[in-house]
Amino acid sequence: MGYSLNPDQTAELLNRLAEDYRIYAPKRFPKQGRYSDTDIIRYDRIQTPDEIVWDQKSDYPAKEVISPIQQALFYFTEDEYRESKKAKKPVLLLARPCDITAQLVQEKIYAENGGFKDLYYDRVHNKVKFAVMDCGGGDDTCFCVSMGSNKPENYSLAFKFDENGLKAEVSDDCFADYFDGMPEDDFTPEFVEENELKVTIPDLSDRDVRLALKSHPMWKEFDKRCISCGSCTVACSTCTCFTTRDICYGDNPEVGERRRVTASCQVAGFDQMAGQREIRSTAGDRMRYKILHKFHDHKARFGDRHMCVGCGRCTHMCPEFISISATVNKMADAVDEIKASLADGGNHVE
Amino acid sequence: MNHDIDVKKMRINCFRQSKVPGEFMLQMRAPGGMVDAKYLSSIEHISKTWGDGNFHFGTRQTFDIPGIKYENIDAVNEYIENYITEVDEELCDVDMDKVAGEPQEWDVKSGYPTIGARNITACVGNYHCICGNMNTYELARKIEPIIFPSHYHIKINISGCPNDCNKAHMCDFGIIGTAKMEYHPERCIACGACVRNCEHGATRVLSLNEDTGRVEKDPCCCVGCGECVRACPAGAWTRSEKKLYKIIIGGRTGRQTPRAGKMFLNWASEDVVLNVLRNWQKFSAWVMDYKPEYLHGGHLIDRAGYKKFKEIILDGVELNPECLVAEDIFWHETEYRSNFNVKPLSMHHTAGPQGE
Amino acid sequence: MSNNNPLQPIPCEILNVKKESTHEWTFRVASDADVDHGQFMQLSIPKVGEVPISVSGQGDGWLDFTIRSVGKVTNVIFEKEAGDTLFLRGPYGHGWPVDEFKGKHLVVITGGTGLAPVRSMVNLCADNPKTVKDLTLISGFKNEDGIVFQNELDKWKEHDHFSTTYALDNDEKEGWSTGLVTTFVKDIPFDTFGDDYAVVVVGPPIMMKFTGLELLKNGVPEEKIWMSFERKMSCAIGKCGHCRIDETYVCLDGPVFPYTKARYLVD
Ligand code: SF4
Ligand code: SF4
Ligand code: SF4
Ligand code: SF4
Ligand code: SF4
Ligand code: FES
Repeated sequence: MGYSLNPDQTAELLNRLAEDYRIYAPKRFPKQGRYSDTDIIRYDRIQTPDEIVWDQKSDYPAKEVISPIQQALFYFTEDEYRESKKAKKPVLLLARPCDITAQLVQEKIYAENGGFKDLYYDRVHNKVKFAVMDCGGGDDTCFCVSMGSNKPENYSLAFKFDENGLKAEVSDDCFADYFDGMPEDDFTPEFVEENELKVTIPDLSDRDVRLALKSHPMWKEFDKRCISCGSCTVACSTCTCFTTRDICYGDNPEVGERRRVTASCQVAGFDQMAGQREIRSTAGDRMRYKILHKFHDHKARFGDRHMCVGCGRCTHMCPEFISISATVNKMADAVDEIKASLADGGNHVE
Repeated sequence: MNHDIDVKKMRINCFRQSKVPGEFMLQMRAPGGMVDAKYLSSIEHISKTWGDGNFHFGTRQTFDIPGIKYENIDAVNEYIENYITEVDEELCDVDMDKVAGEPQEWDVKSGYPTIGARNITACVGNYHCICGNMNTYELARKIEPIIFPSHYHIKINISGCPNDCNKAHMCDFGIIGTAKMEYHPERCIACGACVRNCEHGATRVLSLNEDTGRVEKDPCCCVGCGECVRACPAGAWTRSEKKLYKIIIGGRTGRQTPRAGKMFLNWASEDVVLNVLRNWQKFSAWVMDYKPEYLHGGHLIDRAGYKKFKEIILDGVELNPECLVAEDIFWHETEYRSNFNVKPLSMHHTAGPQGE
Repeated sequence: MSNNNPLQPIPCEILNVKKESTHEWTFRVASDADVDHGQFMQLSIPKVGEVPISVSGQGDGWLDFTIRSVGKVTNVIFEKEAGDTLFLRGPYGHGWPVDEFKGKHLVVITGGTGLAPVRSMVNLCADNPKTVKDLTLISGFKNEDGIVFQNELDKWKEHDHFSTTYALDNDEKEGWSTGLVTTFVKDIPFDTFGDDYAVVVVGPPIMMKFTGLELLKNGVPEEKIWMSFERKMSCAIGKCGHCRIDETYVCLDGPVFPYTKARYLVD
């Protein structure tokens, strides 16, 4: 069922929804950007429609609502410990198609990998309903169509905001009541069919090609360009890596927490064990590890789709202007070169 | 060549005497060093029509046009009416009919009325720069109507961040854009990038506490540069929305006692900066007994003594709560001539009203 | 406390602490966990942290962990003594395919503390002589200070079914050889084993890489070699990503890998 709401009705709808849901949406944090007088858009709880940023891609991804940058796992007192509490009220998460598709990737890792279901992911994820927001085709870093993430399936509501209010479609009946008395409309969501940016992912099914790619000189470019800051992975819709960190409170060392803190394979020390040398010790090695994860390894393990959803946030947030799509294209060239040389009877690895 | 020219009068009109007799160089104000690029064609026109065809970037970010013959000065002044009214009156809201706050009618065809308050210079600031903490030329445009026109000399340099590319430390009244940094521990991934950036590029006041997983700061010595903000991949450091400034006073170059300026105010709000400058004319007038001399602000502070300067310049200024004020200032000068200031009492300068 | 939380640690009592060498101590901890040879567990001290440690021995109601003090958590574990509490979760990962080794000639090549993940399996072979036909053990250590399980090494040396070579990388020691473990590979009597053997390699990454290549050079087929990997781990349940190499999660799919796979795992 579709609806068309004016601004007052939109506010009324959010009021009704807020009685039962914590509503999260992209929100503008003025002047909180990396550079002076630049804003940041990230997910936060919202109360009114004007807080929702619908015409610009968020700098940080929707995943933060479900798997936040930091979260407590256990609380420790002197000789006891207890699990952190879960929030009770369900969440309505307004997100773009890429963000919603990204949850399929998060689910594979947090809920399925190795047959272990991560309690901390699961208990939030179970409480989340998605409202897909029309993104109007995104910006020049988006390549969701190439990554097949432009048409999410798992959503309860579809929203299209504009200056005149909101058009909505209800696809999950449990939301029907909130629209009682709202003007109906034949709105159905449309999803972007083509991005300005298109990415072709090279075929990496051949092991010899992959091994040759790992030692290909293309990665050396990043030793000079990439500063290993990890902005790309923190901003990534699909990165899931974290580190478990125990802390004690400054004022009372007897009590503390075990926390989960976002980690990045781009930051030095990600693979370093106590007392040992780092394995991937150059920015180029780390870049190669990230790119192959996004465009080969994840799919090789889980089968269904590549990890990257083409949201472009990594490109958007990189302070050194390293574009993921350009990097994949460079990788495609390297793979062509490797395949040609292998076909030529060129040197196999090892 | 036989000339009868009052070169001092010319200087006040912003025409500087040339070594070539009868020639002058026009200096056009560009507050904060930023104007619409369309004026470049006016500069070209002046240079090609009345000047020698060349153009020089003034060290104080003025448009300098050399080689203007004395007899053409009236024509030039008539031509720059538009530039002065558009840039100073319209863009900066300057009341051209006042000098140092006192009514004095300005003839629009007469060129610049005073040279005392020099062009306010600025780095490009956060209009462009990734390090900048503030919009430097906008602040310059707010200051321009406070200090200009005036016969009291003051050189103001604005830098968008404590890197101080525009040498706020080398002028009478330097302004450096800063912000208080806010830490959001819930967004911190404990990567240490901010700690390293502060160490390499700033004051080494951050450290990562492994026991708490948080970054800690020695707030006393943070310069408010924002290197930590720039380094953070997670947005865990942000600049406070309120812009704050360091005021550096008394820096100068010169033939006698060059020195770097010293901090007068730290974490001052924009209102404080503007209100302090509103007391500048009063302070200068008092020191020189209400008779402007060709003497820059730093020297006036020396004559009055810092404590007296502080008293007059802060008069009626309500400081923002964060604002810190130097209790004293310990200058460090280059003495080209040793004991240069040990001299007969009769040669000592005076400060304040001298009576009849 | 929910019982469906795989990250939940269980408090366990330390039964005793044995110093193998200055930096390697074996902690015997009370636990009924059912552990395969070669699996590991997550040990933790609340407010300090968690570390993955392979189970180096097991018996009725206890598990042994041989721990090297190299970091924050292990240093604090070294302050603990019998009667104190360690927190445990696990066991995790895939251990040695002991059934596959049964009745065969078993070759075990270790470098340094790489002995810990095979220790319980070697003891199984020592205590139950029928487990394998015989066992060839080559154990190398950097220097005398680095030797672990000295008592057991001595005991195994005397064992009928065992043929042992113990070596220090550069130093001399009575009754010991000098040289890297790779130099002793050619002395292994593979020709007398027929087709009926398996080789197990554990140690630092470089040692494993070159030992693998040396074995291939001596005609050992890939399929007969097994290795155990040590990688940074934070969760041990396939979530945190630290241990991942390509599509492989060392915590889930390892730490023991057949060489057919291990050979192509490039970090
Ligand atoms: S790798 Fe880049 S484009 Fe792909 S999902 Fe992550 S942030 Fe988006
Ligand atoms: S790209 Fe790096 S940080 Fe992101 S999920 Fe993969 S390994 Fe983790
Ligand atoms: S690619 Fe860019 S964002 Fe990512 S680590 Fe390198 S410099 Fe940082
Ligand atoms: S603002 Fe302060 S803490 Fe941040 S980098 Fe500059 S001096 Fe260091
Ligand atoms: S750079 Fe940011 S995320 Fe890293 S330690 Fe500093 S505040 Fe934390
Ligand atoms: S240790 Fe966390 S994924 Fe393997």
